[in-house]
Amino acid sequence: MENGSGCLNGSGAADSAEKAQQQQQCPAVQLSERNCEAVRVIGQYLRELGLARSAEALVLEAGCPLESGAAAQFRSSVLLGDWDGAEASLASLRRALWRESSWSEIAFRLAEQRYLELLESGAHIAALCVLRGKLTPLQFSPDRLHRLSGLIMCSGPEELRQLSGWSGAAGGTRQALLDSVEQFFPPSVMLPPKRLSVLLDQAVRAQVSRCRHHNTSLSPDQLTLLADHSCQAAASVPSVCSQVLDAHQDEVHVCQFSPNGRFLATGGRDCVAIVWLVEAAANPPGAPRVRHHLTLRIGEERGGVAWLAWSPDSRLLLACAAEEATEVIVWEAETGDCIKKLKHRDEDSLTTAAWLPDSNHFVVGGNRGHFYLCSVDVGFEKAWDFIRVVALATRREDDGGTAVLAADTFARIRRYRFDTMQDETLFREDGPVMSMSISQDETLLAVCVASAGVHLWDLRLRVCRRRLHGLTHGAYLLHASIGGPNQDFVASGSHDARVCVWHRGCQAGDGAQQHLLPDKLSGHGGLVSCVSWNPRHHGMLASASDDCTVRIWLPASLAAAALAASADGTGPGGAGFSSNGCCSSTVSKHQPPPLL
Amino acid sequence: KSPEFNASYSMGRLHIEHMGGERVFSCANCDCPLTNRQQLISTRFTGATGRAFLFNRVVNLDTSELQDRVMLTGRHMVRDVSCRKCKTKLGWVYEFATEESQQYKEGKIILERALINESEGFPDPVKD
Repeated sequence: MENGSGCLNGSGAADSAEKAQQQQQCPAVQLSERNCEAVRVIGQYLRELGLARSAEALVLEAGCPLESGAAAQFRSSVLLGDWDGAEASLASLRRALWRESSWSEIAFRLAEQRYLELLESGAHIAALCVLRGKLTPLQFSPDRLHRLSGLIMCSGPEELRQLSGWSGAAGGTRQALLDSVEQFFPPSVMLPPKRLSVLLDQAVRAQVSRCRHHNTSLSPDQLTLLADHSCQAAASVPSVCSQVLDAHQDEVHVCQFSPNGRFLATGGRDCVAIVWLVEAAANPPGAPRVRHHLTLRIGEERGGVAWLAWSPDSRLLLACAAEEATEVIVWEAETGDCIKKLKHRDEDSLTTAAWLPDSNHFVVGGNRGHFYLCSVDVGFEKAWDFIRVVALATRREDDGGTAVLAADTFARIRRYRFDTMQDETLFREDGPVMSMSISQDETLLAVCVASAGVHLWDLRLRVCRRRLHGLTHGAYLLHASIGGPNQDFVASGSHDARVCVWHRGCQAGDGAQQHLLPDKLSGHGGLVSCVSWNPRHHGMLASASDDCTVRIWLPASLAAAALAASADGTGPGGAGFSSNGCCSSTVSKHQPPPLL
Repeated sequence: KSPEFNASYSMGRLHIEHMGGERVFSCANCDCPLTNRQQLISTRFTGATGRAFLFNRVVNLDTSELQDRVMLTGRHMVRDVSCRKCKTKLGWVYEFATEESQQYKEGKIILERALINESEGFPDPVKD
């Protein structure tokens, strides 16, 4: 947009005398160097907004000219299209350049703009004169000169604009020319373009990087300037236990929300996988509650449920057993029907699994060296020999195929393509890997390393982004989960019976990202092995513990809403309050477990 | 099913490491993987049950408190080691040897032959 403001110092002969008088009469406020700079920057901002008179008044009262007289002349000449005047001003500014060598470039750009404007308006003879008399003698960039001379053959302004990529005299090119010239002069002569906007943007971005619980999808230029930005923890980070699910009879080792956020599956040493339904209460909206749906049994001798995996369409649930894990079982989550019991060989140990995107194929593996690709339709399909698998995840690749990511007992995370039988080592961890979890958008991998914490790997850049510390180490398996609308939150279990929640984007106050400590959620009575974020209700976290319960954690604001709803009697299930303010609810009804 | 935090419960699923290798040694009682032939330093040791092997690195072991023991080869500070899974005592680890000639054993683990099984493993196919 053309900025129509003219010259700022000394507009007309009649006015200037009056203004000079005014200036003498106004007690000149003594401004420090910094304040003067601030005034100049504000003046530039006002002028950019189109408030030219305010800018002028500001300059007058403060006595800080925005830029030197010659620069102001130059600016107004360019904006008005007075090319000769612009050249004259430029000549007088020549001394002020950072580098003498840039003068020819500025002169070239000025002449180029003049040439293109003349061509656009159809004055070909005049344009040719500029080409010969102004552009060629500068001997700057023969390539550009050649291209410019070619443009004279254009049949009309439309074609000229298209071929050259120049948007025309009315297309803001004069302002663009000024902006590009500003960089050659020191700020005392000409201010860098949009200086105040740049400074404000930097400030907001710095606030965002310090926001400890940043959890908004607003971009920095949408955030308010009126107060320092900081996301309310109450709205985004889980801190209150809203439900305690105690349907399990023994330690709970796994909990997983389905990809659509409607189901929660939990399993543990009691050899039972329980499917729970997640209901978002309608009144008030957004306060999700969990209730029992189905109890699914695996055989008692199997040592418990070691792993639960949801198919990407959230329809099927796969369970791996802990001991005697020769078989994996697939159920349909809605009805509880056992769809498949997959067994390949009697000596197999299949303790971990992951689904492929078609919700039909899945990979299973264990640390005795069994690593298979299977499907619900066909069963066992392919084996990859001699890999001792510790954890699995899958990721879609650019060519449409799916890569299986497997962590093995040598602390390597490798990529396997079962369709092309290609494999590749992606990362090497510096300690034994306990478990692995991929973010929903498949860009981040959270690896739990024994006695080291949670390491976040970026799968596109193939680097370790963060090392998260603060969880209590021990001899037992821990699982982590990445959640939040921008994959910003990481949660994991811990040996001290607390749930750890980190916000990975926040830079700690001392700038040392490595020492970002997690928020710790207390309430469980035993080791917390596994956590899972709800992919749809961000901020909802489930944790599974050795105290035989699964806890649901919500952000304080949501939890308060949930409590209010239950107190009214409108929420599902009964709710009781324990003295520390946590809401615990008994599961409303148990369906008779279907025997397999 | 007590909700109080009680460290004596068998809690969670144990993190069991596996060192791989072509010949794997495991606990004879519960088959928990311990180490492999590449880690074997010497077979000429003796434990309570007879022959014992000295290994460089062994995983999935719990260690006891430090003990002062006088052995045939001199005075040593050792810890007993047991299988992490089934808690069977399997041998000991040398932490400190008073005599200089015995210092090569420091950090190494003795496993009694009768308490471990040797079985067939497989080589690591990854070449990079």
